[in-house]
Amino acid sequence: MDMNQYMGMFLEESREHLQSLNQSLLELESDPSALAVLDEIFRSAHTIKGMSATMGFTQIAELTHEMENVLDLLRKSVLKADPNIIDLLFKCVDTLEQLVESVANETELTIDVNPLVEKLRQVANNGGAAVTATPQSTHENTAAAQDQSPESCSQVELSDTEIQVVKAAHDQGLLAFEVKVELRENCVLKSARAYMVMSALEELGEVFKSIPAAEDLEQENFEFSFQVFLVTSAEEDKVQQTIMNISEIEAVTVIPCKVPVAEQKTDQPNPKKEVTPAGKPDKLVEHHVEKKIKSGQSVRVDIDKLDSLLNLVGELVINKTRLEQIGLTHKLTDLVETMEQMDRVTTDLQNVVMKVRMVPVGQVFNRFPRMVRDLSHELNKEINLIIQGEETELDRTVIDEIGDPLVHLLRNAIDHGVEHPEERQANGKDPVGEVRLIARHEGNNVIIMVTDDGKGINPEIIKAKCVEKGLITQAEADKMDANEAVRMVFYPGFSTSKVVTDVSGRGVGMDVVKTKIESLGGRVDVETKVNEGSIFKIRLPLTLAIIQALLVNICDEIYAIPLGSIDSTINITPGDIKTIQNQEVILLRGQIIPIVRLGKVLAIPEKANTEEPEELFVVIVHMGDHRAGIIVDTLIGQQEIVIKSLGKLLAGIKVIAGATILGNGQVALILDVGSLMQ
Amino acid sequence: MEEEIRTQTEIQLVAFKLGREEYGISILQVQEIKRMTDITRVPYTPDYIRGVMNLRGSVLPVLDLKKRLGLESNEITDDTRIVIVKVDDLSVGLIVDAVSEVMTIAQENIENSQTVVTSVAANYLDGVGKLENRLLILLNLEAIIGINQETAKVG
Repeated sequence: MDMNQYMGMFLEESREHLQSLNQSLLELESDPSALAVLDEIFRSAHTIKGMSATMGFTQIAELTHEMENVLDLLRKSVLKADPNIIDLLFKCVDTLEQLVESVANETELTIDVNPLVEKLRQVANNGGAAVTATPQSTHENTAAAQDQSPESCSQVELSDTEIQVVKAAHDQGLLAFEVKVELRENCVLKSARAYMVMSALEELGEVFKSIPAAEDLEQENFEFSFQVFLVTSAEEDKVQQTIMNISEIEAVTVIPCKVPVAEQKTDQPNPKKEVTPAGKPDKLVEHHVEKKIKSGQSVRVDIDKLDSLLNLVGELVINKTRLEQIGLTHKLTDLVETMEQMDRVTTDLQNVVMKVRMVPVGQVFNRFPRMVRDLSHELNKEINLIIQGEETELDRTVIDEIGDPLVHLLRNAIDHGVEHPEERQANGKDPVGEVRLIARHEGNNVIIMVTDDGKGINPEIIKAKCVEKGLITQAEADKMDANEAVRMVFYPGFSTSKVVTDVSGRGVGMDVVKTKIESLGGRVDVETKVNEGSIFKIRLPLTLAIIQALLVNICDEIYAIPLGSIDSTINITPGDIKTIQNQEVILLRGQIIPIVRLGKVLAIPEKANTEEPEELFVVIVHMGDHRAGIIVDTLIGQQEIVIKSLGKLLAGIKVIAGATILGNGQVALILDVGSLMQ
Repeated sequence: MEEEIRTQTEIQLVAFKLGREEYGISILQVQEIKRMTDITRVPYTPDYIRGVMNLRGSVLPVLDLKKRLGLESNEITDDTRIVIVKVDDLSVGLIVDAVSEVMTIAQENIENSQTVVTSVAANYLDGVGKLENRLLILLNLEAIIGINQETAKVG
């Protein structure tokens, strides 16, 4: 059989499961008694094992198999998830990641899994020995003890999370059932029947657990009966009837799930101290349910296909604009009316395509708890990472690019921002440092912030070091206010200096972060207070492909200015322009605004004998707090434009951010307001 | 297939005119030939870059080939064409005075340009093809387009 066709799927799913393993292990680390998390870990490991065995990646299969043995003992509470075991499991996940990546790169990586396998076996054997000697010694609650043989009776132990699901259902007036399904002995496609049962039940309500797990059902890893737990508004009979309608079913027993009040654990899980993973325990239930709903209704799509879909929509928008213009110039009322209809459809279509391309930033954020954990261990610091707004959505292309800058910022915050615990205590702070990663929408932008409550950045030290490095003169430094000084951390020369890094503690690769963010059309800013911490704030556009822009005319050339950076447009007379040290400025509502003569900046060949007109059009643009006025000949109007790159040959040209195609087929250039103002 | 071509040692060329001289590009590198269209000037580019054009929805840079080769650029006429070439995934338009024909030339009739021409533009040439009483200058597109060179980024 040709396995290559499954390769992409294998890689994608393995990566997903490894990601979730990392996340679940973090959760387990903070709450070693969480059985639901253990189940999750077990499922992921099991799936990877199954997939890799099928694909013939024996190393991966072997390692996951040994992991499963240990996990199983953890699940049965024979072993306790102590830091040693967790570390070992993390190491396994790391090795698995390497193995999967080596499969992806088709490189023959010589990774020896034997030492890990050996260690896992030791752990498993020790656990096994312990259980024979003192079978109950490691048990903390009786509920877990019964979990050892869940399939034996119908009164299956539900995990805490599942009990909560049942309780929540009761509170909402829904019913929870345990459905025991027996297939006929001669049933041929067991997994297909199981699938039909599952999908039938999912139509009635929410399936929150099955024994064996859904993966096993799919792979026919069960005899002739299985159990499904669901929350539904339907009656017992209805459930029974629905399943009996499926052929080759021998018997169905529907038992209402009682809320096992007595079994409820009274001891609260330890309040989290070290690393808080993204999902908080009280959110677990929601997560669980949400996942189930989505899994049945989503389709994996190749990102290239989405890109070409977006390009096609872009074409459509361009052609639509073109047709609109034809209608207007030739005064074709019918066409204009039809175009209005079509305008609505294309706008909707465009929105849908955009939404399809949107992915939650959680996809990127997910990998950070693990990184923060490792980093804080390495540096002997205690860090509480708080992630907020992981559901905020961003365009796929932006998501792919944003990871590295965030890694930089987080590393900086932990490495240089947050002090060592003793130092924090000496300063009257909580020894545990707090690093926050926050995402949220703000108008047409997404804001991502990395904040820490560390020592902050001292502008005086920055200034001194910049002068020392010869980046600025002493006079310039004296003129600088604190904000400007702190912004020097983004200055390219700054990062290369090790001395500055040691003293000020900031600046490693910050210019790289800035360049990257700006290449995405975003901005990065920093706010800091000495001894209170720093906030790095990234502002990104929601999407990169289609924007609103103002088209302007200079001589015979048309340029597009992104609407996002326009404040207003005003008319002035030449007399309104004053000069300060030869820099032309105007006074607008008490503010001094420098003037940019676009014709000059763009070196547009001037027409002979043109007098300065009596009235000038000025487009007031802004970049952060800075404003400037751009003088143009005429304003053409506001329009949706599709951003096209100028290509490799013309990349990196000053002042031009890209190109777009106008309704008449002509190419217009898009101005880069940021570089125009420098 | 490749073997066949090698034994035949013939190449197919698109021949075009720049002033009084005749030039050739391997047909495998030519995507299409267009009539002159609107070209948008791009500031901060070298003077041989005419600007960008719209080719069915994508934006392509257009080079004035005569300027690039250090020849006197002249008026655009009815015969002026844009030859769209593709080199290393990069599509570029080249403005030429006129496209004459597609022809086949035997490898043995191609002479190394270095032995014939010694001007600055020699880098841009691949050789000279002899065809009865015509001379065809073969262009090195990689060098002309400036891949792996800093030529395009002149501020």
